[in-house]
Amino acid sequence: MGDSDRDSGGGQNGNNQNGQSSLSPREQDRFLPIANVSRIMKKALPANAKISKDAKETMQECVSEFISFVTGEASDKCQKEKRKTINGDDLLWAMTTLGFEDYVEPLKVYLQRFREIEGERTGLGRPQTGGEVGEHQRDAVGDGGGFYGGGGGMQYHQHHQFLHQQNHMYGATGGGSDSGGGAASGRTRT
Amino acid sequence: MDTNNQQPPPSAAGIPPPPPGTTISAAGGGASYHHLLQQQQQQLQLFWTYQRQEIEQVNDFKNHQLPLARIKKIMKADEDVRMISAEAPILFAKACELFILELTIRSWLHAEENKRRTLQKNDIAAAITRTDIFDFLVDIVPRDEIKDEAAVLGGGMVVAPTASGVPYYYPPMGQPAGPGGMMIGRPAMDPNGVYVQPPSQAWQSVWQTSTGTGDDVSYGSGGSSGQGNLDGQG
Repeated sequence: MGDSDRDSGGGQNGNNQNGQSSLSPREQDRFLPIANVSRIMKKALPANAKISKDAKETMQECVSEFISFVTGEASDKCQKEKRKTINGDDLLWAMTTLGFEDYVEPLKVYLQRFREIEGERTGLGRPQTGGEVGEHQRDAVGDGGGFYGGGGGMQYHQHHQFLHQQNHMYGATGGGSDSGGGAASGRTRT
Repeated sequence: MDTNNQQPPPSAAGIPPPPPGTTISAAGGGASYHHLLQQQQQQLQLFWTYQRQEIEQVNDFKNHQLPLARIKKIMKADEDVRMISAEAPILFAKACELFILELTIRSWLHAEENKRRTLQKNDIAAAITRTDIFDFLVDIVPRDEIKDEAAVLGGGMVVAPTASGVPYYYPPMGQPAGPGGMMIGRPAMDPNGVYVQPPSQAWQSVWQTSTGTGDDVSYGSGGSSGQGNLDGQG
């Protein structure tokens, strides 16, 4: 596998290397920069593979759709619970609901590490990241099997980016399997 | 692409799978479809295992592969979204990286089937039609891309769409030993009478074709690295 996420890439300004895109300036705001997306794609391919322009642009669209898809699900949950702020746990819950269980386990570790480091930095003052986003609430529900216990079914009634019905709920059995698998994997690596 | 340096092959209770000894490029020439699919499964296993290891070593949350401001802007495009915590775009930056990597790995399989070295739009379209969790993307690729895929399938290619690590697959299936005509995932859908895709007729024909010719294909455990030992039994 290629480098870690420390590769110098898109800074937090988010406007780098737009010159490579054939999209209009306003349209570019709907997508992540094509250079960043291409760089990540290359990490998944053999060294001698090439990527066509239309594949890069299609991936840009897919990523934006992924963000909107997950955000919409998380937003619905927040509204039902009468909370105003979408946090990391809401996104993890949404990904589980939408079938991206594989993503949730590494992302939980990622989020935990961020919060640890964030806690250290908070003691030293307001972190830049917090200031940029302009919101710094943490309504963490907590760790554990809650995400899996709630079920990991998939809904395929419609292709809208926001699903407002959840007719598939799979209970503890499925969640248990997933947790067990993760645990087994962890033990094996030790 | 994935390498095995400094990384033990994923294993669990049972027979540990042998590490893949060939690179994708080496297999690109004359590998059978089934061989390529098995290779993809192994690659996805390694991918998820590697991601866990890499994430556990993250120390710097300032340098991201993807710009946080742009992610936030995309999130805010939904009028219902009001406030976003600082951690949300950061989490999405990593989630989108995983998404791009997985979709690219799955797309590359299609390029290799066609003996190409260039990833094209229709490769992404093929990966979308073959992977359940990417169903929400079907509208992004035009129908002619999907029809091309249907044509390929119609030509006798056997395809078994695999979902990626969906936990409810495991309890009823145990360790499926290639049941005739059964594709993993279908039983979970049939009882509910759902899983219709009106906007894409071509996709339905893809499923019908797969169902009709899927006798020899049965891959357990999808891409879940938590149960990597099952992949080798496909």
